[in-house]
Amino acid sequence: MSFRKRNVGLSTGADRSAAVSSQSAPIESSPGIRPSPDDGRPTTSTGAPSLDNLLAGHAGLPMGKTILIEENGTTDFAGALLRYYAAEGVVQEQKIHVVGVPEQWGRSLPGLIGTAESLEEKRSDRRKDEKMKIAWRYERLGEFGAGVAGSRDPPSQITAAGGESEAKPAFCHAFDLTKRLTHAGISNMSFIPLVPSKDSPFAAILKELQGALLSSPANTIHRIVMPTLLNPTLYPPSASQPEHVLQFFHSLKALMSAYPTRVTAMITIPLSLFPRSSGLIRWIELLCDGIIELCPFPHSADTVATSGAATSVEEPPQGMLKTHKLPVLHERGGGSDQNVGQDWAFTLSRRRFEIKPFSLPPAEGDTEAQDAATPGGMPKKSDLEF
Amino acid sequence: MPSQPPLPPLLTPYLSDLPESSLTVISSVLGATSNWLVLRYLHASLSNTANSNTSPENNGSIGRTSRKVVLVSFMRSWDFWKTEAKRLGLDLARLRDKRQFVFVDGLSELFTPSASAFSTVPVGSANHATLPLRNRPTPVPGRGPPAAGSLDRSAQDRRVQGDASNSVRLHFRGRGTAALDAIEKDIISELHRQRASSDENEELLLIIDQLDLLLAATGPGLGIGATEMADWVMGLQQHAHATVLTIAADSPLIHNAATNVHGDCTPIETEHAALALGLAHRARTVMQLRMLETGAARDVSGVLRISRGGGWNAEAKHSLDEKELLYYIQRDGGLRVFGRGES
Repeated sequence: MSFRKRNVGLSTGADRSAAVSSQSAPIESSPGIRPSPDDGRPTTSTGAPSLDNLLAGHAGLPMGKTILIEENGTTDFAGALLRYYAAEGVVQEQKIHVVGVPEQWGRSLPGLIGTAESLEEKRSDRRKDEKMKIAWRYERLGEFGAGVAGSRDPPSQITAAGGESEAKPAFCHAFDLTKRLTHAGISNMSFIPLVPSKDSPFAAILKELQGALLSSPANTIHRIVMPTLLNPTLYPPSASQPEHVLQFFHSLKALMSAYPTRVTAMITIPLSLFPRSSGLIRWIELLCDGIIELCPFPHSADTVATSGAATSVEEPPQGMLKTHKLPVLHERGGGSDQNVGQDWAFTLSRRRFEIKPFSLPPAEGDTEAQDAATPGGMPKKSDLEF
Repeated sequence: MPSQPPLPPLLTPYLSDLPESSLTVISSVLGATSNWLVLRYLHASLSNTANSNTSPENNGSIGRTSRKVVLVSFMRSWDFWKTEAKRLGLDLARLRDKRQFVFVDGLSELFTPSASAFSTVPVGSANHATLPLRNRPTPVPGRGPPAAGSLDRSAQDRRVQGDASNSVRLHFRGRGTAALDAIEKDIISELHRQRASSDENEELLLIIDQLDLLLAATGPGLGIGATEMADWVMGLQQHAHATVLTIAADSPLIHNAATNVHGDCTPIETEHAALALGLAHRARTVMQLRMLETGAARDVSGVLRISRGGGWNAEAKHSLDEKELLYYIQRDGGLRVFGRGES
């Protein structure tokens, strides 16, 4: 890793406005790969910018790492994250391996609406147009709790139109869950079915993954996608036996370490069926590199339905997000990341999966508390005059 | 170079001077992994002979006798250990060439039968994504039954095959104690090779990283339980001067077996608890790593509790103070160890 590359990576991760100018030259031969601002190792995007920012300062998922998304309850927020991850891979023309689900899954990937930066711009534009008259006095105070790890630009710095950013290679794209992805690369996805066998149901999957990695050229980047692992509607009962599933995870880890710069994996698992308090899940967690747990609030779907356009800028969180383990950081010993130990809340909207620090909203009618809650204290009198 | 000394003074007495045939158990949990501590053991054992650039305060306290180390890792690759050790100023690759250190790979091919093709692809930094397009790797011709082959091959033969395949790879084939015995034989042959090349006063340290994986991923379904694993460890201990083990001690793995009186806990939990408790009773020292009970803190990674295990011998000349310390791993890999309330 040379100093130069590291330097470019730093500016890409930390400051987007600087990246616009510096990214004119391609920094990596593989699209969708950039060096981590933390230690320069190659990373790729998960397809959700706020999840990228959560991953221990690497601003992306480090290559050769597995991330496990656990979800409580019957919702499918983890599935949405997984679709973003797969769609990002398709757009970056990486090779996607989807395990265990039929090909319809691939047709339900969210549609591309531009790069993540362009969505950020549109969003701030829209906020300027549609802002509530009550809210605009807070405008210059900035968005409360904006972004994760302060990655977002203030809206005033954005001048470029959305079309311009398509020219440079983007690290992360924005997708719309209500649209369907139409991309040439989508036919390039491979679906690995679960074949019933007396032996481990994972043996065939591993063989296929190994073969695909071995037979592809060395500059192909792979993504392994495993929706709802061990879900009894997909997996046979024998799959959840420790000697099968743990051996699979161990072999997957071996595969990852054999190709440390060419493959990443994202796996989701339903926690309601396999609670975290069980030894099996704990071993799966020990064998993965990153663990994210989603705890959706009960009935959050109702509140989203009733919240009109007025609250579209500040949507209520739909659940809590816990980070139990982050790639690289915890392997080293853990603990020194600024994001560790925070309470996170997530919001899934049509166009984004957003992770923010969790804070309870001020009680309604409690104006004093609301004023106190705004960063920077009371706004000046001139700001308040209409 | 890390700003802190690689070995904090508070820890040094525990890391060096491991008595004859002693067992040290390091227990870790999900958020507080044991890798950094294993690396400190490596450093304490290997640095004095290997490194001229270690900080001067280390030279007096440790290493009157030189040591050899065999590291068996079931969860992490050679690349990981190599890069992390480099952060401490320890060149494992060079030490391995000097036969000071041996890495036994329990990750790459433990459960994957057709993985001999793995070694055709260069592993590590050479295979970076920025490299230009390269030709399709062609599989090597078959090299016979892997388990037997790894025994027969001489060290010279292995060195030819390049960096990644330089170390012995363990294979789990079949079931029950026969499969364990095969793995044991592979490790023992490495221990013997190390011992044969060493002097009289050289101590041989065996470190087994996460041997509990072997139990979890096989279990009673394949005829392996806590008793078999404990015997397996005992068999290996006989061939080394001292042994250091790491084992997971997460609450679901330890406490489910004890608290669930309804019988709804799975074999993986009962067997793991039995193994972990059994080893702790045999150990001289138990190094227990866990997270802060009070939640995450920015300047604390976790808690390290050092206590005497069941195998601690009061008459022995080596004293062992029980302690509870906080530790903090910095971003650059440096380590700070301090008592509660200190900083």
